[in-house]
Amino acid sequence: MAKGRELKGRIKSVENTRKITRTMEMVAASKMKRATDRVASARPYALALGDVLARLVRPEIAERFPLLRQPTATKRVALVLLTANRGLCGAFNTNLIREARARIAELEGQGASVELHIVGKKGVAFFKYLGRTITNERIDIGDRPSAADAASIIDGLTDRFAKGELDAVHITYAKFKSALSTPPSTEQVVPVVPPASQGAPRDFLLAPNADVIVEALLPAYVRNLVYRALVETAAGEQSARRTAMKNATDNASDMLTLLKRTYNSARQAQITQEIAEIVGGAAALQG
Amino acid sequence: MAALQVSVISPEQVLYEGTASSVTAPAFDGEMGILPMHAPLMTLLGTGTLQVQANDGLKRFRVSGGFLQVVDDTVRVVTEEASAIA
Repeated sequence: MAKGRELKGRIKSVENTRKITRTMEMVAASKMKRATDRVASARPYALALGDVLARLVRPEIAERFPLLRQPTATKRVALVLLTANRGLCGAFNTNLIREARARIAELEGQGASVELHIVGKKGVAFFKYLGRTITNERIDIGDRPSAADAASIIDGLTDRFAKGELDAVHITYAKFKSALSTPPSTEQVVPVVPPASQGAPRDFLLAPNADVIVEALLPAYVRNLVYRALVETAAGEQSARRTAMKNATDNASDMLTLLKRTYNSARQAQITQEIAEIVGGAAALQG
Repeated sequence: MAALQVSVISPEQVLYEGTASSVTAPAFDGEMGILPMHAPLMTLLGTGTLQVQANDGLKRFRVSGGFLQVVDDTVRVVTEEASAIA
């Protein structure tokens, strides 16, 4: 019963794989829950900060703040790419990398030089393989990025922008629209594009004054953009992994049904054959 | 009596949301008290202790940086670092 044993081995191995993928699916689902909670709880801060800046920033004061300055030509751009540290999450990292490469090609087509700042092992590994220089690589940011992580990524870049060493900073990340839709997208971090003002303008008592407040809040706004990108990417990674592992589990189940059916029919065929042999043998003895 | 609607917001989460009768905040140039019917105000925060006199007792938070905004008895404390003090 050589074929039967072989099939049995395969059934066992697919069953083991299914156990692993099912566990990973459940782990990713629970991590995703926590990550989406973090995305949701980051929203009030972003809204409050955006609202205040929208009220205070007027085009006429823009040139007084380095972070609002629009460079005349965009020659030197820093691209921050956020990827996952781990694989087994479908096309998640591939999509992010593809988006980043499209952006790089676009910027270089416009005559800008692009320096890469990559977060996440997967992105680092890919661009190393391509042989591109990576200005800064971070693989220490895990499933739960903090506001301090965001600050450590972006502060150096905003300083260099303020000094005029960079003309723009873009960030490529997975936008967390919903658990099923996390499209890779690229946003400009600096120069800051102030959010549009909504609601009636009010006369505020400003202490100390609008300029100082804007100056203090702009870096916070930039850090928050990056923080949001980090938490959304983390949530996107978990949701991508959950989907990928769910598919893998389903595929394993389909494969098992097929293998078991083949195994059973092989077993039945063998029994039938043995009976036929016995009956044949008995008939020969009688004859 | 009019009450204040207070929210204390950090980048990572909303630490407090509810009504209060007064708020004492560490503004950039010293402590500042907010009572109901305050004029619209926006001020930068320094580092220190934020005290919210809520209906069920005094809530205290350590805050650092950010700003405080008062509009129509709604107080928003938006700070870069915040943690509750038990």
